[in-house]
Amino acid sequence: MPNNKAVSGVSRRKLLKSAAMIAGAAAIPEVIYAPAILAAEPITLRYLSTATNQAPAIAEQAFKDTGIKIEYVTVTTDDVTKRIVTQPDSFDLVDTEYFSLRNLVPSGNLKGMDAKKVKLFDKITTVITKGEVNGKKIGDQGTSPHKVLYLEGEHSKKFAKSPTEWLTLIPTTYNADTLGIRPDLIGRPITSWAELVNPQFKGKASIINIPSIGIMDAAMVTEALGIHKYGDKGNMTKAEIDLTIANLIKYKKAGQFRALWTDFNQSVNLMASGETEIQSMWSPAVTAVRLKGIPCVFQPLKEGARGWASGFALPRTLTGKKLDAAYEFVNWFLSGWAGAYLNRQGYYSAVLETAKTHMEPYEWAYWMEGKAATQDIHGPDGGLLEKKGTVRDGGSYETRMAAVACWNSIMDENEYMVKKWNEFVAA
Amino acid sequence: MGTAAHRSIWWLASPLAAVLLLFFAVPLVLIGVVSFWSYTGYSITPAFELRNYAGIFDGCRVGGAGPCVVLSTYLSTLFFCVVVWAITLVLGFCIAYFLVFEVRSSRMRIGLGILCTIPFWTSNVIRMISWIPLLGRNGMVNLALMQLHLINHPLEWLLYSRFAVAVAMVHINTVFMIVPLINSMARISPSLIEAARDAGASWWQTLRNIIIPLCRGGIAIGSIFVITVVMGDYITVGLMGGEQIASVGKTIQTQIDALQFPIAAASAVLLLAFVMLMILALIRIVDIREEL
Amino acid sequence: MSGEKTLRGKIEFAAVTKSYGRVVAVDTISLKLPAATYCCLLGPSGCGKTSTLRMLAGHEDVSSGDILLDDVNVTDLAPAQRGTAMMFQNYALFPHLSVAENIAFSLKMQGIGRAERREAAEPLLQMVELAAMADRLPAQLSGGQQQRVALARALMTRPAALLLDEPLSALDPFLRLRVRGELKRLQKSLGISFVHVTHTQDEALALADIVVLMNDGRIEQQGTAHDVFSHPRTAFVARFIGGHNVIAQGDSEVAVRADKVTLSRAGTGTMAQHAATIRDIEYGGMAYHVRLSDAHGRDYSCILQEGAFAQLGPIDGETLAMSWAESDAQPLEPAAN
Repeated sequence: MPNNKAVSGVSRRKLLKSAAMIAGAAAIPEVIYAPAILAAEPITLRYLSTATNQAPAIAEQAFKDTGIKIEYVTVTTDDVTKRIVTQPDSFDLVDTEYFSLRNLVPSGNLKGMDAKKVKLFDKITTVITKGEVNGKKIGDQGTSPHKVLYLEGEHSKKFAKSPTEWLTLIPTTYNADTLGIRPDLIGRPITSWAELVNPQFKGKASIINIPSIGIMDAAMVTEALGIHKYGDKGNMTKAEIDLTIANLIKYKKAGQFRALWTDFNQSVNLMASGETEIQSMWSPAVTAVRLKGIPCVFQPLKEGARGWASGFALPRTLTGKKLDAAYEFVNWFLSGWAGAYLNRQGYYSAVLETAKTHMEPYEWAYWMEGKAATQDIHGPDGGLLEKKGTVRDGGSYETRMAAVACWNSIMDENEYMVKKWNEFVAA
Repeated sequence: MGTAAHRSIWWLASPLAAVLLLFFAVPLVLIGVVSFWSYTGYSITPAFELRNYAGIFDGCRVGGAGPCVVLSTYLSTLFFCVVVWAITLVLGFCIAYFLVFEVRSSRMRIGLGILCTIPFWTSNVIRMISWIPLLGRNGMVNLALMQLHLINHPLEWLLYSRFAVAVAMVHINTVFMIVPLINSMARISPSLIEAARDAGASWWQTLRNIIIPLCRGGIAIGSIFVITVVMGDYITVGLMGGEQIASVGKTIQTQIDALQFPIAAASAVLLLAFVMLMILALIRIVDIREEL
Repeated sequence: MSGEKTLRGKIEFAAVTKSYGRVVAVDTISLKLPAATYCCLLGPSGCGKTSTLRMLAGHEDVSSGDILLDDVNVTDLAPAQRGTAMMFQNYALFPHLSVAENIAFSLKMQGIGRAERREAAEPLLQMVELAAMADRLPAQLSGGQQQRVALARALMTRPAALLLDEPLSALDPFLRLRVRGELKRLQKSLGISFVHVTHTQDEALALADIVVLMNDGRIEQQGTAHDVFSHPRTAFVARFIGGHNVIAQGDSEVAVRADKVTLSRAGTGTMAQHAATIRDIEYGGMAYHVRLSDAHGRDYSCILQEGAFAQLGPIDGETLAMSWAESDAQPLEPAAN
């Protein structure tokens, strides 16, 4: 495999004639040969991630506090993975999901992050580091972040079984996804994933059309229906995949789904327009629907939620001043301001203590403790999010994260699963 | 002298040839090459194996239960191809005829021609989203029909259906038919139509015997545009079909997103071959060179 | 061809006007042509001759007035119902149809089958000597051959009047003369009327039984070629038809043919005369062509036979007396507008 890798790496890059790649390649000599020039100028870090993980306000604050310029490179979830695998020189810092690591780490394009250089590493939430919340174990199916947090060495392509100095990702945000519903149209409590395929919502339901995530939601449904108990929803056997897809196809043919969605905006439009009343949904999408003045709830379910987490990684080629700057930025990111910003968006931040110091007590109570808002709740941009007296859907941090039943993942049988998912779409 | 002139002509063509070679032929060849490579989730390895092609046709056995995925996907895409082609042809022909033969003032003609490009004034995604308020469950069409008491319940099939996909595809692609047809029709000398009338041809006979035959090239070029776009269009199928309708492009996209480049390349080669065959068939019917 | 003995193509324009919005292209023209007439509509471009032809063909609506063909009012009839057939300036052959199919197109429109059409086209193919090329496409023919196809196609409908729009303009001079002769012969043998639009006066003089000279939407003069040439009614006619000098005499003008003007140094007592200076002398084979201009800058021309020229021996720049017999001076009407 190491012999093959060099060859295929080059060829893969040839395939992609992206200008970004050329730009990325050109930037390397700059780092290596011209440190003197760089020292005179503020260091710029190209920050690759999805739009949801990027906020101009964070970049602004970071520049104020550290003098490091953040240049966002915005792509979709799948493209983050593709970039890391095919164009590892086109960014200096990447914010990607833990479940992708299965494909990213063996590529050798990322380097381990040194725990010793991450000042607040010990304060990082146990949800990520141990798979626990307040000492209680949470769902471990799929790619639970703690399983892929450590590497055997800085340039290792293998995950370590026990904690080491070398980390795959330093967490940025994480949360738990369930179903979003339109309470005004449904008018009764929704407590189970099985409701997604309830004939009552025939033609009014939707499921996410990103195979690796959609199959998990489908598995939650299948399990809730009592059809099958999975060994690991995040790593199904071929038979389990067949069963799950067959179940999905059955409901699809019966006309259960109004549509499937891939894109954040699609999910918002489906819900906001009333085309769907119940669907798999991401938390910021729920917020987006509510900002349109349309009631939409992120529904806690008895079977639990599907967790996801993302974090920072560094490309293998990053060295010198840029490498130092990257660590400096990561440390700043964990130091509270950014965490508070993320918490106010409805995500959870990696180091809770520091974020708390940057939030008002009533904010902390509403967002993290599941208490009724004692004042109006404003978003990070100052816009009114919730009226005084509202309680956050899904409850407190502990309740929400403890409800995680499985984590986003990439299965051993991913290739087979993708093929079967295409069958579902084509059915 | 003759050979020197010949040589200089080749020289003149060489920059374009180089550009085509670099940005068209080379990537195409690479796609063909990669389609035989092997892969894991994070790497692709040069090889020569037919696994990717075999994977595409997985489950396609004679006497299998129902058509396999690739077959049903192609049938679905082909269905849109035929429907959209037929509608855009008729619609595009009528609009082009109107613009060329009925509109007298050239300013009016340009104005109306620009109107035909309205579908391109916004991005694809915004355009698609805009269909929701029109065709959706609570959309204008349903509300209007209900207020007229023509229906009691909203029509579900207006949106996220084959109907919706076809409507959106016709909306985008008609202009691809209009432009080459206008080009063909504008070349028809008005005296040909007068000559036909002089020989006793009715409007319909003139259309059938003169205008349509002389538009064959335009029809062929427009058809090539529409067929290639529709065969590769997974965005419209996805957004208007509620992502519940298979399309070849979407399959390829899913494979690329799953980092399965070689199988995606194999799918792309298959699609390319399929579209090329369709175009070859068209060219056999009509010699398009006379139009270029 | 049962009607061959009867002459056809009696044409009448009764106060026909064509206007495009405010622009009047043809202004109340009236014209009567007997059957089997070769008529040339002559005039400068924009004079209304083409509009007149197209109104007769039915390709242009008549704004007011009536057009009669063989005593039938055809003003509101469709082109194919009138008994006219048009031969277009660019021939307007259908590029996708063979020569035979082009010729038999009108039969196809009547629903006549392919074999029958082919049979019907045969005599016409023979007439225009294109039988060997029946299956070729128009693009594979020469310009002259294309014209013959157009002619055959037009004759296929057995028209009473064949309308030709500048039929000779695209041909080279040699072919032009030949086709000119063929057209005239054809018209005589068919016994129908030809209405031929041209801006070339020698074409009109050579071909026409009746020349209709148009100017500015009106008929300036009509008559036999001889009439029009020897008795131009106005200065415009005299100038356009050529070969005439328009000479001012007091308030009025006269036209004198160039070959009726003599030049002398002393003047000829009994004749009218006018002083002019030689600008140019051209040898034309049969005669010398001398161009002169007078003190007012008006131009004249004079054709001197070889003998007369040798006798006079004129030199460039020399001022001479132009003189002519009073009987050769054609008095001109003042311009109408």
